[in-house]
Amino acid sequence: MPDPQRRVHNRLAVLRAERGLSRKQLADKLGINYQTIGYIERGDYNPSLELALTIAELFRLPIEAIFSLKPMTPLSEEIFREP
Amino acid sequence: MTTATTSRIEYLPRSRRRLLVAIALVGYPVAVAVLVAIKHTSLNRWLILAAYLLVLLPTLVTLAVSYRYARGRIDGRRARLDERDLSLRQQAYALSHRVLAAILVVATAVTEIYLTNGNTLRFDANTFWPVTMWVILYIPALPSLMLAWIETDQPADA
Repeated sequence: MPDPQRRVHNRLAVLRAERGLSRKQLADKLGINYQTIGYIERGDYNPSLELALTIAELFRLPIEAIFSLKPMTPLSEEIFREP
Repeated sequence: MTTATTSRIEYLPRSRRRLLVAIALVGYPVAVAVLVAIKHTSLNRWLILAAYLLVLLPTLVTLAVSYRYARGRIDGRRARLDERDLSLRQQAYALSHRVLAAILVVATAVTEIYLTNGNTLRFDANTFWPVTMWVILYIPALPSLMLAWIETDQPADA
């Protein structure tokens, strides 16, 4: 049984900064309150599956590139990792 | 309430909000206890009323601040409640129920012990009005108080 209190790690802040979006702009695109973006980024709120999928769709990335149960490694490290 | 005050209330840190909630919950019983203690003294009636209102004032202020903090989310008046707001509201109502249940159980147990020890309880206007006031003040305010209690600090704007 999954623990609802378990932290879901995410790269939302990095992706948002990369695309030059403010929390308000991203929230408006997602149809949620801008504070919710901050809570998700800080790991204080785990988004629903529907919201997580909507975020993935918006960034055109697979959901596992944005959300993970394990701490996220820097994107550059993943891109340039030796095979 | 001015926009600046409203904004300051919305960004109150959790530690301060929890202090306000504690004052709001404890304030009224303290005010009633003060009133009962000084009611039968030789003090002037107006002085007693003034002392009661003075002790009650922090409760009313903290209740108003807590209501302002949660307004729109707890009563559903905000046009758009997102999934976090809805989940928080649900948690606040559930916690309110638990707190209310605990208060009622404790109050019933204390009354039972008091009566079992051979005391009698007169049920007249003097006994009834503090209870009525408590119900009027707290039952509608409890969900707002609990929301102010449970919500974590808002992330800084970015």
